[in-house]
Amino acid sequence: MANPYAERQVSHSGVNMAEKNEDIGFKKDTVNKLLSSFFKEDKTRLSGDAALLVAEILKVFVREAAVRSQKQAASEDCDQVDIEHFEKILPQLLMDF
Amino acid sequence: MSDDKDETQQRLKAAIHFTVGRLCQMTGKDNRRGFSRQAVAAIAETAFRQCDVFAKDLEAFARHAKRSTVNSEDVKLIARRSTALSIHIQKKTEELNQGKKSTGKRKSRDTEEESKE
Repeated sequence: MANPYAERQVSHSGVNMAEKNEDIGFKKDTVNKLLSSFFKEDKTRLSGDAALLVAEILKVFVREAAVRSQKQAASEDCDQVDIEHFEKILPQLLMDF
Repeated sequence: MSDDKDETQQRLKAAIHFTVGRLCQMTGKDNRRGFSRQAVAAIAETAFRQCDVFAKDLEAFARHAKRSTVNSEDVKLIARRSTALSIHIQKKTEELNQGKKSTGKRKSRDTEEESKE
């Protein structure tokens, strides 16, 4: 069953098509449904622009988390970024946002 | 009825997880350090929970301004803690407004203003 909220599918051929950084991101519709599910009041709505901006903030949040985790892994001389690297940078990440 | 809500949440989580995975892949690309599955899942879960925080804040800001629709001004407040983030969001807002004023999307403006942090 197709997941209507899934981002567009990419081929898993392993070939990295030259995707621009800007192409990957959260869909406006997904962000809208997501935030709406957390609103306390039914009447609260999200404007189109607001949804796009939140999508952008989320993208920055995830990128920050990824880059910081990676730097942590590098400082510990690890080959892979593991969950403990993420856990170490998480407190500061949450404070910075 | 609560099952439907759970199912929706699961689908949303799955969508988030997918995009987070791709973003991590992009970040790891230049570095040759891959992200473990657990790490990606943890980042996705954190992003999901952060949305709850954002949503509650946004709702409060809109209500404070006596509105029931959250707009871009509310979102700008969310970004207030980090100067760099505020500037980035401010630029995005201007881009969106520019896009509305002209008849079509201005691709040249997009590539020029997309600055990496």
